[in-house]
Amino acid sequence: MRTPSSLSFLKKTVAASRAACVLAAVFLLAGCSQLNFWQMDGHQTSMVTAGPVAESQLQVFYATVWVTAIIFVVVAAVLTYATIKFKARTTDDENAPPPEQSHGNPLIELSLIGVSVLALVFIAFPTLRAIWFTYDVPEEERENAYVIDAIGYQWWFKFDYPMEQIDGVGALSVANEMVIPAGRPVRVNLRTVDVIHSFWVPKLAGKVDMTPNRGNHMWLQADEPGYFWGQCAEYCGDSHAVMRFRVIALNEADFAEWVAHKKLPARTVTPEIADPARAERPQITFASFKRNEYGFSDKWDPRSQVSPLDNWRQQQFPHEGEDAALIAQGRKLFQTKTCIACHTVRGHEGMGITGPELTHIASQTTIAAGLLENTPEQMARWIMHPEVVKPGNKMYTTGYVPSEITIDQDEALALVAYLQSLK
Amino acid sequence: MDTTLTQTHFTGGHEEPQIAPTRASAFWRPTAKTGLISWLTTVDHKRIGIMYAIAALFFFLVGGLEALLIRLQLAVPNNDLLSAEQYNTLFTMHGTTMIFLSIMPLSSAFFNYIMPLQIGARDVAFPRLNAFAFWTFLAGAIVINIGWLLPDGPPDGSWVGYAPLTTRAYNPDQSIDMWVMGLQILGVSSIAGSLNFIVTIINMRAPGMTMMRMPVFSWMTLITAFLIILSFPAITIALVELMMDRMFGTNFFEISQGGLPILWQHLFWIFGHPEVYILILPAMGIVSEILPCFARKPLFGYAIVVFSGATIGFLGFAVWSHHMFTTGLGTVATAAFSLATMAIAVPTGVKIFNWIGTIWGGHLKMTTPMMFALGFIWMFMMGGFSGIMHSAAPADAQQHDSYFVIAHFHYVLIGGALFALLAGIHYWFPLAFGRKVDEFWGKLSFWVIFIGFNVTFFPMHFLGLNGMPRRTFTYDGNLGWNEPNLIATIGAGILGIGIAIYFAVMVYTYFKGTKTKRDPWDGRTLEWSIPTPPPEYNFAVTPTVHARDAFWYEKHHKEEIAKEHAAHHAEEEAHGGIHMPFKSIYPLVTSSGMLIMGIGAAVLPVDAGATMRIAVSVVGILVMIGGIFMWAHEGQEGYHIHPNEEEI
Repeated sequence: MRTPSSLSFLKKTVAASRAACVLAAVFLLAGCSQLNFWQMDGHQTSMVTAGPVAESQLQVFYATVWVTAIIFVVVAAVLTYATIKFKARTTDDENAPPPEQSHGNPLIELSLIGVSVLALVFIAFPTLRAIWFTYDVPEEERENAYVIDAIGYQWWFKFDYPMEQIDGVGALSVANEMVIPAGRPVRVNLRTVDVIHSFWVPKLAGKVDMTPNRGNHMWLQADEPGYFWGQCAEYCGDSHAVMRFRVIALNEADFAEWVAHKKLPARTVTPEIADPARAERPQITFASFKRNEYGFSDKWDPRSQVSPLDNWRQQQFPHEGEDAALIAQGRKLFQTKTCIACHTVRGHEGMGITGPELTHIASQTTIAAGLLENTPEQMARWIMHPEVVKPGNKMYTTGYVPSEITIDQDEALALVAYLQSLK
Repeated sequence: MDTTLTQTHFTGGHEEPQIAPTRASAFWRPTAKTGLISWLTTVDHKRIGIMYAIAALFFFLVGGLEALLIRLQLAVPNNDLLSAEQYNTLFTMHGTTMIFLSIMPLSSAFFNYIMPLQIGARDVAFPRLNAFAFWTFLAGAIVINIGWLLPDGPPDGSWVGYAPLTTRAYNPDQSIDMWVMGLQILGVSSIAGSLNFIVTIINMRAPGMTMMRMPVFSWMTLITAFLIILSFPAITIALVELMMDRMFGTNFFEISQGGLPILWQHLFWIFGHPEVYILILPAMGIVSEILPCFARKPLFGYAIVVFSGATIGFLGFAVWSHHMFTTGLGTVATAAFSLATMAIAVPTGVKIFNWIGTIWGGHLKMTTPMMFALGFIWMFMMGGFSGIMHSAAPADAQQHDSYFVIAHFHYVLIGGALFALLAGIHYWFPLAFGRKVDEFWGKLSFWVIFIGFNVTFFPMHFLGLNGMPRRTFTYDGNLGWNEPNLIATIGAGILGIGIAIYFAVMVYTYFKGTKTKRDPWDGRTLEWSIPTPPPEYNFAVTPTVHARDAFWYEKHHKEEIAKEHAAHHAEEEAHGGIHMPFKSIYPLVTSSGMLIMGIGAAVLPVDAGATMRIAVSVVGILVMIGGIFMWAHEGQEGYHIHPNEEEI
């Protein structure tokens, strides 16, 4: 058995480790006041809501937090008290005659069951109400609801606007940046063409899956104009982590203008509308990125983080210094490199439907499914090394590989110039 | 005491006490007591339990390494330590390994080793079937992991293997075939083992051990075994369908032919949710043994603890769709599964109340197993609370598939299941090996594990609510996820160190630890009544049970028990002594047939040609059938042991 000296050593160690724990806790708390992750106010948070669906879900969450917090405080207090009070402190305690061999108390046991059931009722009621509320657009608003079909692809999102028909084409279609009218309920029909994806814009609504051969839907509403981060939430293969998207909510007039603009065919840059001062400006170079880098950290244009909606608005105007000749060269490359087989550029040569529509790609804030900022450098990087930026992506595996396509810097320059002209 | 029970046991128990010499000559009956052959042919539930534990702990370390790599990748945003494919493989294998190859078999180790001792039995009902279950488990584990050595790599379809991502159209390489085949083989093992435990518990309890006198751990073994038997058929069907899709072009999940992927999710979770209780109920059983022992008083509200365990088992089959709240179930189904899930919180909470009731008024000895058991209560309670948060479907719409869920189930499965299993290893180590872990090192490992665990997983609650989805190999630096991820990675390092200390101490103790005598903890249940390490026949005299805490009663009624033992010993000697079963090689042969079949069907490269693959599979099936045939015909003879007077 243990000798007294080793016992006292043990006690000292236990006391020391307790002190260390307290110290660690203090430091941790102090550290936390420097950090602020517990505030949970990121771009993609579910704790700062911008619409009624997310708000309803958050209220249910708070109900569960309150009920469990109260139970926790009570149970933890009793457990702590019992542990301290009934602990054997000395070897005499440990060797003392055993306590009364009691087997329980049915009255206490049954009343605790009763209390537990009662506590759950407080959660059950708001839960039931929110289940019905969040399921579909409220009856009285259904007339007013806007409809968008969201379709998941490995690894990007397509958004069709059945209420916006274009003569001879069909519904308006955009990719990866869903623009919605603010202050109006939006019913999103969820479909997928391949595996299961999940549509999640935390600030607006919880996720609903896009399941093959199954018609799902959800609804959301942005109370105010804004710019929201979203991401696929169901593991869907190699590049699941980088299958992201954005939702942009605009007021009624802006939205109407956006729709009208999007319905137009692609913009064609002729020497007359190109910037005559082009020759004096330095050309864009693409040496500024590492080849083996996914996405990029802390390199977003600060404007896109601080006032993302204004940044989005800026993106709607043509770049300065357009080079009509380079753009024409890029448009030709867009055909010879077989880009047109997968991408639609309405009014130009692009006819494919398996990839995202690029008719107005330059007016988006992001490319590669919300992964990269829509800058010439990032676009060049994306089209030159798609397999590095987005592992396993179809543009590379079913386009570049079988057709043995490579794109060098000069070609990228022209292609980017063309794509960046598609405002 | 109930005399009829006693008589039944001693007259009806061994009708064939003699070796049948006519047939025995045709078969090799291994008799080695030590060495490799003795382990390969053993039918002793204790040895099988130890083999389960060693295999489970090996895979636990493998799964832990996978977890550390995952955390290293996520330490900083846009990290490129691992490729997307490597990361997806690692989280798939981490989940599959921890659930099927680590926690489940570790529970199985305790079922094997402890349960027969607790109910006063000399072995399980079907000792050879028990060996078969272990070897088959090993075969399944090999098939799942063999991809590490092959060009296609290990599976990367996540542990839930959602179709259609796992169909051939989206995952053409063979790693998924190995995953499917490996899980099927593991299912055979689990069901064989569970049937054995059920029969053992129903038929082989010592005289006087009524169901309501049975230790809670054995009760949880019984409930878990029923859960396995009832839930594994669902995943078996799902896996067969997926296998048919992949191998023979059927269209259960093949979406281009109208398959319905939602079917996979229903089948998977009808298995998958009971599986959660398959992982946690044994842990609850272990804690329900440890707390009374170190509080030195009986479990508070035994009947309710047992009954709530059974209720959890029943309700566990009625809540599977809470894993599918985001699949568009519709309002009524969502509401029903939401309420059923809340209901399951009641029997779970009741257990926590009763554990606190057990502590209340006791004399708590703060030993290492007790620390782990108390840690279990705290951590499991936290995991339970986040579970209640998920039960509210609208809140779950935000939490589902986010890091909040990762935090939740690691609190339940590490803070819950694993803490209890680590407590159990400490608690029963002196029984199995006759040595005791030093309290200082045991407690040190507890605190390092406890702190590391919380530093790793507590920040994940915030990550999830802040919008970070799970199963993502990278994240961007602008979303407020950087600090919690870095903290979690540091925590994972601490947790890893804690686990390393824990196992280093265990290995040291096995060779050099302080030796203990019989009953080192002042135990309450029958396993402590036997010498340590236990003899192969467990009980020199089959005990008669007079009370719930059977051994506690024996210790306080020594004279009565001594007389009873002497009488029973004489009776048993009159029947020829203690009957022991022969060892057998055929469980191992049968299982290796399964391994060969699995390799032929799933592992051999497609380039090897269909003929080759079918040929190897057929060889495997023939070995299996041959093994079963020999097994059936070698007979169930055994030999007799006559323990000497001191052992009684």
